[in-house]
Amino acid sequence: MAQVELKQVRKTYPNGAEAIFGVDMHIDSGELIVFVGPSGCGKSTLLRMVAGLESVTSGEILIGDKVINNVSPSERDVAMVFQNYALYPHMSVRGNMSYGLKNRKMPADEIERRITDAARMLKIDQFLDRQPNQLSGGQRQRVAMGRAIVRNPQVFLFDEPLSNLDAKLRVQMRIEIKKLQRRMNVTSIYVTHDQTEAMTLADRLAVINEGRVEQMGVPMELYANPRTLFVASFIGAPQINLIPVRFDGTSLTNGTLKLAGFSDLPTGVDLMLGIRPDVLSIAPEGQLELNVDLVEQHGGENLIYGALLGTKNAAGDAQEICLKGPQSLLPATDDKLRLAFDPAAAFVFRTDTGERLK
Amino acid sequence: MTGVRRLWPALRDHLILSVGTLFLIAPVLVMLGSSTQSTGALGLDGPGFALGDHAVQNYAEVMTLKAGFTDQISALAMLRNSLIVATGLATLTTLLSLCAAYALVYFRVRWAAAAFWLTMATLLLPLESRFVTTFEVAATLGLVNTHLGMILPALALALGTLFFRQLFLSFPDEYLEAAKLDGAGPVRFFRDFILPLAWRRAGAIFVVSFMIGWHQYLWPLMLSTDESRYTMVRGMHLVGLESGPGMALAVLTALPPFLLVLIFQRYFFQALADTKDAF
Repeated sequence: MAQVELKQVRKTYPNGAEAIFGVDMHIDSGELIVFVGPSGCGKSTLLRMVAGLESVTSGEILIGDKVINNVSPSERDVAMVFQNYALYPHMSVRGNMSYGLKNRKMPADEIERRITDAARMLKIDQFLDRQPNQLSGGQRQRVAMGRAIVRNPQVFLFDEPLSNLDAKLRVQMRIEIKKLQRRMNVTSIYVTHDQTEAMTLADRLAVINEGRVEQMGVPMELYANPRTLFVASFIGAPQINLIPVRFDGTSLTNGTLKLAGFSDLPTGVDLMLGIRPDVLSIAPEGQLELNVDLVEQHGGENLIYGALLGTKNAAGDAQEICLKGPQSLLPATDDKLRLAFDPAAAFVFRTDTGERLK
Repeated sequence: MTGVRRLWPALRDHLILSVGTLFLIAPVLVMLGSSTQSTGALGLDGPGFALGDHAVQNYAEVMTLKAGFTDQISALAMLRNSLIVATGLATLTTLLSLCAAYALVYFRVRWAAAAFWLTMATLLLPLESRFVTTFEVAATLGLVNTHLGMILPALALALGTLFFRQLFLSFPDEYLEAAKLDGAGPVRFFRDFILPLAWRRAGAIFVVSFMIGWHQYLWPLMLSTDESRYTMVRGMHLVGLESGPGMALAVLTALPPFLLVLIFQRYFFQALADTKDAF
């Protein structure tokens, strides 16, 4: 167990492409941090820099109190779980798990003890003598986890470990990873592009966009209090409703839509009003009117999609928004619904900079 | 009706294949048949498919052959030379291609691509096209009349490097990365990953280069003036090309590569046809 510290970490590739622009981060001992962001945002690069698979162009990475920029990957005392598992195809499950330990000259009985423990914990004890190609996707995933666990490292690194699994198995493994990490209390960094995975797993999560950490904090903090337009739109499923608006001194406007209850906003610049789907409610005297396009029944709740009457977005169409309602709410297509929201629960962003104003 | 409709195309296909097969093995059959004829009969009728009554005599003569200026040429000595050259060439070629491909794929040097294409370019310059210079080099190094001299110039098999390179490129990068985290350096990765994952293909390259080494003719002809260094292919004319014993020697010469292919053909075809064989 160790804390991990990133100080002004940058990555520039030899061809001049910049991947990471000065990341500062402190990860407490035993914490599970999730890096989340769209593909190509640099989250995997950052993880691989911690692993030692990518060099650090400038800045420092510390594990414990030790700067590890120039320490070889095997001596950093980190273990990694790869997206495609990277199981050694010519070694049995036992061979896969013991390889790193043998290379570290660990005594055979200690290796055996660790493998037995990890295999029992991951319920793969009956597969120890199989080859990887005789295992299912979920079992391979477990072996990859086992290979990391037996190392008993200071830091676990997970690079999208669940994205090759089917949806049901993914949820199941997600819960297991969380439990396992709690039990072992090993500092972990987990990379994913799936915001649900990020929200549910993380002690704290870092939203990464174009090589920068946009915001870092506990999941609910990021959900309830996003600092930028990007964070607001990335965190939360279904996605936050974003309505392009302008401020005329007293209210936010778009077409014939006028929303009161906002103040202290700049006039004459493009703004973005963000309303979470669960903040909207049906009310006869509501500020918004929706023309229903589609109802998605998710079982416990329904998502109602429709056009916001009176508005125009950049493409010239009425802005589409989404409302989360109860099972019983089943409007027909082209029904009109009046919706209300509390302006205090809505966010306002500057469209050009993405900065949150309210 | 349907049975007949299926029968005719099947018959046609088999006919084409049979004719092709016959065409390909005809010379081999002629060689086998002629090796049982007496030299006199061969001179009279020329080589043919028919079996004669001199089989035992011909093969016995070849096996007990003593020829050359100092009687140093015997079938066994030539077999020994051929085996040394072919096995040496195959072993070294396989190792060299394996190492070259390993370096080209895993050591991300800037000129790796250039080095690879330069290697490929050697395909355009077979040994025969550079005999004179190669002989000078061999002579300067004192390699005339040595087994090593027959092996070295034929050693660099660009195709071997190509085959291994393609195989390594098909391995996911994560093998290397996971191995790095597991504490494997370049030597360990080679021993624990490259060798076990590439051995099938290495077997195929070994067989191919064994045959190249075994069937070498012109280069050993130039290089071996000393009769004790004659290989089987090189020595064939000594026995008499249009003689029964000569044909018997030809059969014996063709036998080792044939056996090798027969034994390893399963691996051979798997390894060259399917890049996923290693998994």
